[in-house]
Amino acid sequence: MGLKVPYVTSYLTEHFADDALGTIEGYEAKGGYAAARKVLRESTPESVIETMKASGLQGRGGAGFVTGLKWSFMPKGTEKPKYFCVNADESEPGSFKDRLLLERAPHKMLEGILIGAFAIGAEKTFIYIRGEYAYPAKQVQRAIDEAYAKGYLGRNVFGTGFSHDVVLHRGAGAYICGEETGLLESLEGRKGQPRKKPPFPAEYGAFGMPTTVNNVETFCHVPHILANGPDWFRGFGTEKSPGTTIFGVSGHVARPGLYELPLGTRLDEIIFEHAGGVPGGRKVKGVIPGGMSMPILPAGQLDVPMANEFLRERKTMLGTGGVMVMDETTCMVRASSIISYFFRDESCGQCTQCREGTGWIHKIVSRIERGSGSVDDLDLLLDICGKMEGQTICAFADAAAWPIQGMLRHFREDFELHLKHQKCPFPESFEL
Amino acid sequence: MVITPEMRSRIEAAMEKYPQKRGALLPALHIVHEAVGHVTPETARELATLFDLRPPDVMEVVHFYNMFYDRPQGRHHVYVCTNLPCSLRGARSLVRALEAHLGIEAGETTKDGRITLGHEECLGACAYAPMMRVDDEYHEDLDVEEAKRILDGLE
Amino acid sequence: MPQITVDGEVIEVAAGRTILQALDDAGLLMNGVDVPHYCWHPKLTIDGSCRLCQVEVEGIPKLQIACNTPVKDGMVVHTKTDRVKRAREGVMELLLINHPLDCPICDQAGECKLQDYAYEYGVTHARTKEPRRAAKKRVDLGPTIVFDQERCILCRRCVRFCREIPQTGELAVFHRGDRSVIETFPGAELDNPYSMNVADICPVGALTTKDFRFKIRVWFLNDVPGVCTGCANGCNVHLGVATNKVYRYLPRRNDAVNDTWICDAGRMTYKEIGAESRLQRAYVRGPGGLQESGYKAALEHAASRLRALLDAKGPGVIAALASPHATNEDLLQLRRFLDAAGVQNAGVAVPIGPADELLIKAEKAANATGARALGFADAAGVVDRIRGGGVEALIALGHDVLDPAYLGGEAALAGLDTVIVLDTHRSELERVAHVLLPVRVAAEKHGTLTNHAGRVQRVRPAVEPAFEAYADGEVLAKLGARLGLAGFDGKWDVRAVSRALGRECPAFVGVDVESVGDEGRSLATVVAGATTGASV
Repeated sequence: MGLKVPYVTSYLTEHFADDALGTIEGYEAKGGYAAARKVLRESTPESVIETMKASGLQGRGGAGFVTGLKWSFMPKGTEKPKYFCVNADESEPGSFKDRLLLERAPHKMLEGILIGAFAIGAEKTFIYIRGEYAYPAKQVQRAIDEAYAKGYLGRNVFGTGFSHDVVLHRGAGAYICGEETGLLESLEGRKGQPRKKPPFPAEYGAFGMPTTVNNVETFCHVPHILANGPDWFRGFGTEKSPGTTIFGVSGHVARPGLYELPLGTRLDEIIFEHAGGVPGGRKVKGVIPGGMSMPILPAGQLDVPMANEFLRERKTMLGTGGVMVMDETTCMVRASSIISYFFRDESCGQCTQCREGTGWIHKIVSRIERGSGSVDDLDLLLDICGKMEGQTICAFADAAAWPIQGMLRHFREDFELHLKHQKCPFPESFEL
Repeated sequence: MVITPEMRSRIEAAMEKYPQKRGALLPALHIVHEAVGHVTPETARELATLFDLRPPDVMEVVHFYNMFYDRPQGRHHVYVCTNLPCSLRGARSLVRALEAHLGIEAGETTKDGRITLGHEECLGACAYAPMMRVDDEYHEDLDVEEAKRILDGLE
Repeated sequence: MPQITVDGEVIEVAAGRTILQALDDAGLLMNGVDVPHYCWHPKLTIDGSCRLCQVEVEGIPKLQIACNTPVKDGMVVHTKTDRVKRAREGVMELLLINHPLDCPICDQAGECKLQDYAYEYGVTHARTKEPRRAAKKRVDLGPTIVFDQERCILCRRCVRFCREIPQTGELAVFHRGDRSVIETFPGAELDNPYSMNVADICPVGALTTKDFRFKIRVWFLNDVPGVCTGCANGCNVHLGVATNKVYRYLPRRNDAVNDTWICDAGRMTYKEIGAESRLQRAYVRGPGGLQESGYKAALEHAASRLRALLDAKGPGVIAALASPHATNEDLLQLRRFLDAAGVQNAGVAVPIGPADELLIKAEKAANATGARALGFADAAGVVDRIRGGGVEALIALGHDVLDPAYLGGEAALAGLDTVIVLDTHRSELERVAHVLLPVRVAAEKHGTLTNHAGRVQRVRPAVEPAFEAYADGEVLAKLGARLGLAGFDGKWDVRAVSRALGRECPAFVGVDVESVGDEGRSLATVVAGATTGASV
């Protein structure tokens, strides 16, 4: 079991072909834990945060917030215990990169956690891993046990007097637990319903204590940045979006899989050069660039560099880099039906607009897909999206609205054909 | 008592890891499901007592998460991902084939109690679609025949 | 104090408050400044999920929910802009797509916040063509509440109420998304001493009381402000009155007394007003037993018996029992009557029951504190003298002396020469009474009541009794006149008597039926002696 190694690797996933990398011996043989040892023995928390800020690393969980800045929000000089949470809830459809890191390089994540914990003064890290990732969770627990056994976790790490504990916590099947404060609620033994803000997690987080939540991949970049310096890191990617990321390509491509590439790599390069293009000689119809929450791009816009500063101009975002390729046989109304079902299923149900809006959108799209739609339904869908966006406790409602807006922006014709013919006009499209 | 002394000591060990013992509720529910497969009102009451909660507080958590159940399930959970990347590669046809093979619809359990078949949202295996989760294991890059063989091998 | 500007008006606010709290503190919320809301409630924790209270705050690009935005000095808030209008329309439209078209059969109609806000802030046309969510209707949630899951808008006020106020937490939201429903634990009920408050705070007709179900349309009800008389807390209420009948109590907000709550037992005491057990006729005991006599004849008979005894043996053989349910004005009149007649042997019998940490007080009467302030000691002394044989006539206001803590029954009174009873309801006293005179309950007269903390609160006549009855004070005025007591001319001016409270009893300086208003006012010093009783 377990994910295949990436087809293209860089600093993050080199050596991933070596199964031993998941063990502490294998990891250390490749230079693992050297950066953390050096930082804990020789650096100061402030300098680590400065390094992280200088590197410009953006969180790799989808929001893209500058990690060093996030870490600097943690209060200094407080009596309260501080916590890290690793967001290993990876449930964004199209994303499976964190799974790779959890299965094959859990020690890299732990090393990043150690460095970060030192920087923000955290005494404990909770790794929140989605419940369905049973095998990755086993690998992570094994790595944690190995690290404790060797004194790399627990009291007096590396003999430096710094202590840190790591607890693995399994989720139980709810996408909304990938939202920062939904995760905290779930960690506390409640329903994963996101919290209203203020207060923010740096002030009131896990169990009411100052907390920072970061994505798995984000932590994995940290040892490399500290080992090689921010300038080295900025040698990859773009000026505004430095570093590499692991793109996950799926759908109608010849070589679906993981590709570690610098941010700013063009989308068409990823699809055609690396992932082998669309099999069967078919053409691309549309591509979702960053996980299913991100608006779709049509075939004519695949020249976009995969970094937020460029994707935003095309009214979409990098998200988690989950590239979903759909070829010319694909009915976008069917795709929208699956997308809208997902958001209806996963809405936590607190906010009026999200709870009712996701349901309404799904009902309308399904009805159009079945052939009972009418012309006013399309503007109604956009209007509902407008009523959901930007007005809820968390960004789930935005994530639910954007894909529909994207579909109607670029594939309105698919919808209109459904209305005109009162059935799906794409006989070769995947089955629903 | 549904919660055995052995389960209880595992739950209490989990409680030690959290600053508030309620943090161990999800781990406790996993332990319960591993042992008995679902949560009855009686079990919820026992858990509530253990955690100094009220029974509705436990029950609302059971109802919120996909992996917790309030009614008996088959001995094996077979969940096919039918989200977008998997559907693009035939996941839904796979579900229909398995429904026919087992003689049940997705969401139901076979009469002999062997298998509960269902749809699941993205499981993080998008490049290896179609795929399914059987209990704790992923089976990826499936075709219909292989999927049927895997199900037939379940006891 | 920080200042914020709302729609151009500057308001002083307390630090640490949210915009909605600040508006509520200033008495402006929905009363000058409209910020419609569902999930927020002044006495519950902040929820933030209904999203209706969104407002524009200058300097912040996104609309902010007023319920969770802390005020900052200099903040500028706008509630009437197009953006706010559209946001409200959005929330209202989305709430209505699954809401059942139950208005014609729903108790909430006429006091429904969904109706009200849909009308004020909603869209005029329904655009949904989709089937509405089906859920359970008419759920028997427990002894007092019926629940309709389809009408529920998931504001979660009821869930928070049960967790935070009675702290029984029976309700929870199960499942997620648009399958969310509010339920109790399987087999469990919503059953706590404050359960009916959930129907008040439910903005729609999802939670309704069994007691009020289908009784009357609320637009027929007049709301009369009053006070519950079930215990010494004196929770403020609205009496819902139509065609001279009280149909219900609703709690009336008073942050100094009961916040926005009332206990179930107190809420149901409205039934005592129109009960069949009301004493509805004046009676006189003749050779053949009690006979209806007409009020005048009963008063004459009472007066003549008292006069005879006073002349023969003097006031020392007469005892009196004040009612802890009567008003301060009634009891001042009793004090005057007894002083004029020279009767020193007087007390007040106070029924005691369980109490709790919230609102419920041990003294199950609304004016025991007032009685004590007016000089009536506990009736134990009177009871001893009755048992000891030293009492030949008893003037009893109310029948609380029958309580096991006092006489435990009417037998000890059987041998008395004269028993005159002024009462609101019938009791075993009628077996020994020589005269029975119907008097009015608090909801049928003007007056004031003093709660356990010494707060004097006014009551008003909401209904007229269907039979001849007077306030206790008025009966005593007439009786005193017939007895020829000094200062008794048979007239009863309750406002004048109320103003005299402060002159004749120093504790009452500054309070009278008009000056206490509808919010009440505290006595200068609270009178000690209240029994705390056992906790529930």
